[in-house]
Amino acid sequence: MATHLNILTARDLSKSYRIADREIYILENISLEVQAGEFLIVAGASGSGKTTLLSLLSGLDRPTDGRVWIEETDITDLTEDALAPYRNRSFGFVFQSFHLVPSLDARENIMFPAELRGDPLAREKADRLIARVGLDGRHTNFPHQLSGGEKQRVALCRALINTPKIIFADEPTGNLDSENSAVILDLLLDLRKEYGATLIMVTHSPEIAARADRTILLKDGRIAGETVHGAAHAP
Amino acid sequence: MLTLTAVIAVALGVTTSPALSAETGSEGVIVAMGDSLTEGYGVMEEEAYPALLQEMLLKNGYKFKVVNAGISGETSSGALSRVRWMLRLKPDIVILETGANDGLLGIDPAVTEKNIAQILTVLKKENITVVLAGMKMVPNMGKTYTDAFAKIYPALAEKFHVALIPFFLEGVAADPSLNNGDGIHPNAAGYRVLVGNIYPYVTSAIDKWKSKEAK
Amino acid sequence: MGRPMLHRRFIFRQITRSGKQALVLVLCVMLSIVSLVSISGLGDSIRQNLLKDARALHGGDIILHSRSPFSAPLEAAVSKLTARGEAKSLRVLEFNSVVLNEKKDASLLSNLKLVESGYPLYGKVTLASGRSFPAVLAPGGAIVGQVLLDRLHLSVGDRICVGKATLVIRDVVVNEPDRPVSFFSFGPRVFIHMDDANRLGLISRGSRIEYSLLLKTAQGANIEKIAETLRASAEKGERVETYRSARSRIKRFFDNFLFFLSLIAIFTLILSGIGIQSSLTALIREKRRSIAVMRAVGATGGFISGHFVAVVALLGLFGTILGTLFGYWLQYLMPALFGGLLPGTLRPGLSWLSATQGIVLGVLVVSLFAFVPLYRLREVKPVAVFRKETAASRKGVVAYISMAALTLLFAGMILWQLEDKRIGAWLLLGLAGLIVLSGLASQAVLSLLGKISFKSLALRQALRGLHRPGNATRAILITLSASFSVLFCIYLVEKNLNATFVRSYPANAPNLFFIDIQPDQIQQFSDTLGFAPRYYPVVRARLTAINDEKIDPEAQRTRRGDNLGRTFNLTYRDDLLDDEALLAGTALFGKNIQGLQVSVLDTVTEMHPLSIGDRLQFNIQGVPVEATVSSIRTRTRESIEPFFYFVFPGDSLLKDAPQTIFTAIRLPRADIGKMQSRIAAKFPNVTPIDVTQIIADFATILEKLTLVIRFFTALGIAAGLLIIISSILATRLARAAETVYYKILGARGRFVSAVFTLENLLIGLLSGLLGLLFSQVGAMIISVRIFKIDYRFYPAQSLLMVAATMLMVVIVGMSASVSILRQRPMAVLREQTEE
Repeated sequence: MATHLNILTARDLSKSYRIADREIYILENISLEVQAGEFLIVAGASGSGKTTLLSLLSGLDRPTDGRVWIEETDITDLTEDALAPYRNRSFGFVFQSFHLVPSLDARENIMFPAELRGDPLAREKADRLIARVGLDGRHTNFPHQLSGGEKQRVALCRALINTPKIIFADEPTGNLDSENSAVILDLLLDLRKEYGATLIMVTHSPEIAARADRTILLKDGRIAGETVHGAAHAP
Repeated sequence: MLTLTAVIAVALGVTTSPALSAETGSEGVIVAMGDSLTEGYGVMEEEAYPALLQEMLLKNGYKFKVVNAGISGETSSGALSRVRWMLRLKPDIVILETGANDGLLGIDPAVTEKNIAQILTVLKKENITVVLAGMKMVPNMGKTYTDAFAKIYPALAEKFHVALIPFFLEGVAADPSLNNGDGIHPNAAGYRVLVGNIYPYVTSAIDKWKSKEAK
Repeated sequence: MGRPMLHRRFIFRQITRSGKQALVLVLCVMLSIVSLVSISGLGDSIRQNLLKDARALHGGDIILHSRSPFSAPLEAAVSKLTARGEAKSLRVLEFNSVVLNEKKDASLLSNLKLVESGYPLYGKVTLASGRSFPAVLAPGGAIVGQVLLDRLHLSVGDRICVGKATLVIRDVVVNEPDRPVSFFSFGPRVFIHMDDANRLGLISRGSRIEYSLLLKTAQGANIEKIAETLRASAEKGERVETYRSARSRIKRFFDNFLFFLSLIAIFTLILSGIGIQSSLTALIREKRRSIAVMRAVGATGGFISGHFVAVVALLGLFGTILGTLFGYWLQYLMPALFGGLLPGTLRPGLSWLSATQGIVLGVLVVSLFAFVPLYRLREVKPVAVFRKETAASRKGVVAYISMAALTLLFAGMILWQLEDKRIGAWLLLGLAGLIVLSGLASQAVLSLLGKISFKSLALRQALRGLHRPGNATRAILITLSASFSVLFCIYLVEKNLNATFVRSYPANAPNLFFIDIQPDQIQQFSDTLGFAPRYYPVVRARLTAINDEKIDPEAQRTRRGDNLGRTFNLTYRDDLLDDEALLAGTALFGKNIQGLQVSVLDTVTEMHPLSIGDRLQFNIQGVPVEATVSSIRTRTRESIEPFFYFVFPGDSLLKDAPQTIFTAIRLPRADIGKMQSRIAAKFPNVTPIDVTQIIADFATILEKLTLVIRFFTALGIAAGLLIIISSILATRLARAAETVYYKILGARGRFVSAVFTLENLLIGLLSGLLGLLFSQVGAMIISVRIFKIDYRFYPAQSLLMVAATMLMVVIVGMSASVSILRQRPMAVLREQTEE
């Protein structure tokens, strides 16, 4: 029996907002373990709390209750600055609406995380990634000069440049047509394998779910079910 | 008050007539010493009487250099203070025109008379032929004053035996067409009239000087 | 019932929900109104003050002057006016005459003023007895100045001889309205009734008399029109003036000063207008989504526009009221600022007219600047509900039309303020040029910076931030550098004026000058002083030619600054003064130079290039003198010490020239008065000049003026800062998004702050430097061309100004960005994605 070290552990995560006198729970008592190299999908209907869960797991937001560990480290109470190295080196983000820095061109967007950590090979790495995702000739285009599919390829490259341990993807194909969706998804999954990264993806697309190792289904802020695909992770 | 007037006056400056060229030679030097009426306040240097006089003399065969030594705003005291300095010009004849500013300032005519007398004493001592320009004061100063003022010149001319132009501005004063806007300074046309008036007095002084020289 | 409620609530919500933008908008409106209202109020009080005095000062509504009796056509025109009851006329004759006592053994030159009954038309003649002037002045009598009584040893009731007439002294005049205190007046005043004019026998051909006709027009008459008809009848030498047109120097000065202030006000107005536009644009941008939703649920364009117009109107009204109140309140500060500058006391004189004028102008500007953002509301389509904000909308024809309207409005305002349309046109051209130049320079610098690759990632990001798509960097740079140009320019001109006219007075410099000491009085003078100061002989002379090249005094006089055509003070001595150094030549006078030598100050060489060996021809008191330049001197320090342009050898012919002696001494302040009167009593021909007093008076005046200028300039700076705040608020969303992206990609807070600080620093530095460049050029042109003074660059102060600008922009920029930096990433991401 292979023992897998948990790369990410969440215990009793809750997120609530106070609106007027009422406490509204977005998420309630979510516990979760993700193993290194796993491809986990968080599925659920609109408003089920998928994106909120992803933001808590990735430290972009703080839970009202509960804790999150990255490997051995509890990141729940870390300051923004203390979180910075995790975001920079350990995490990669892919969003539904791309979130590219509008003032930077494609290559600069991709290079940015590498430059932040002072990587002297930032440019070479970026160029290699650009070639890999088929964006040759688009290096100096600004986000507003790129199509949705192209933007998302840039975002993929940016997420991967520092060879992160975990890629957080929030509906990465949600803003794309079906053709582009398929291409981006293939790229994402291929690259994940090449870079050996764990992938946690929020989606409500059933065909993607089929390609994951495991799917968690959220409903009204609680885990309503868990499906394990294939044999790789059978206990 | 007087200082200020003097400063303003001096600012208006002094000019000299164009020198006679060396070739024409010069029989003698006439210095036109005076105030703004000599200097030619408000007209070009060539339009003031000393330049016109030299021209007129030359035309009639008198090769005399006429130096414009007028200083605007100068009173008889000012003239007295620089009379010795004027001797540097080595004048043979001096046309002395001063006192008008004294009159406009209401200075006691006795003071003016004393100053001019001292000037004449210096010039006489240097054996210089003098033509004294008589002056009259504007009527608004009051008859007592204008009478006393007008008497200065004939009295001095008689006392020092110098030629007298009875009234320097004869036929020019009080004629708006011959004066500039301020009503007291002759314009170019005024100076042309004026130089005609004084010309005979100057030529007779030249003749007198020549006969004196001949002795 | 339901509809109006909805309206009110809607409007209220729009205002409260965008508090910061609304506040910026209100402050901008307030600033523009404050500067307009307070300057027009200041203008009002100054003009009222001057005009109130002007009628009395000039003696009537319309004043005719002539040196000879008035011409028949003008007399006829005046008679026609008086016959029709349109005006009351009063004749005045003024001339000098020698007044004698009854025994005719003492006389004094006096200034006679013959007036008709009814004098004065305006103001009041104060008599020593306290009686009224019209009651006292009657034919046969005279009202005289105290000096006349003193000098002729007379008292009221005695007789004086004026011309042929003998008059009884009836009273002593203490003050008359149309004769301000003057140092130039010759002799005491003697008032005589016009009916005695002929009896005096002083008025005849050749008399020097100033004829005046004072007119008091009927209530409500058009003074300018009447003056115009009179002018049509006037002949050469006859002047027709109104109390408005008769310009005194003080009025001219204040006209210029007010114009200068108006320019600052207009500039503040433009800046606030830009602030209004940018804050309103941001406010509306933030409302885009709700506007789109409202449209989607069926709100008409009119409904939305109407409501936002109401929002702007409400905020504008609020700002206008605040501005008016503040501006009005400032009126009460002005007299304190202006105390002593104007004759009489300055009362706050804000008239309803100018208050209204200011408000109307302010509202007009607010509406014009608000028009484009409001007009763009139409472009918000319901479809925006589904999409995030797309690229910035293009400027339409309407935007250009409103820009043209604004340009015309400001051009009109400047031209309207100015009487000289030519200067106005130049000014406008300059302003337009400044904006174009700022635009070009900003563009050039930005693209240059874009080409340079910097090592620091933060600096690179900051530069990229400047190029942020849809960013208003260029607009900010243009407005800031243009406004800093103006503000710096004012400061530099003020500094230069100050340096030229109010040099800091050195503690050991002489403070009492004596001029016109006679050479033979020196010993006695030293005895009186109690010590022997250095005496400087002064010989007045004119420079007639340089190397036989004639100097044309007329041409010289048209030069700005000093000229060679004026009368110079020459002196003679053999030594260099302590504060002098030789620029050319080994000694003051050379051994190898033939004839008379002269050492010249370098100031002269600035007027005409000179070198050793050049021949200068002087006319010294009627005597032509030629001298050869033997050395060129310079002054080693700016001081009050006496200096001479031309110095001749001590043993030269100048010794014999008519001369006066000048000396400058330093006395303890307390002793100056005593010494002045002691010298005056002993040496009536010597004039003492208390330099400290003159400089102190001038410094006080300049200080007061600059205080007023600084105050109005501060309003301009405030408007400039509001623009920065509002533009940062306007790009709040973009900045917040950038911050979060940096954070998601793993940047620390310090990096993010560094990027924003550097961005603001770059904006501050660029606009400061561009502003400095333009202001130096502008201030130099103004100083040299308009004020005709030498120009100094003040490098230290200039750097300080740029540094202060950077600091100010960074502080303002960062404090406006603090809330943006503090945002948690997720909040922004959601706003970006879900809103």
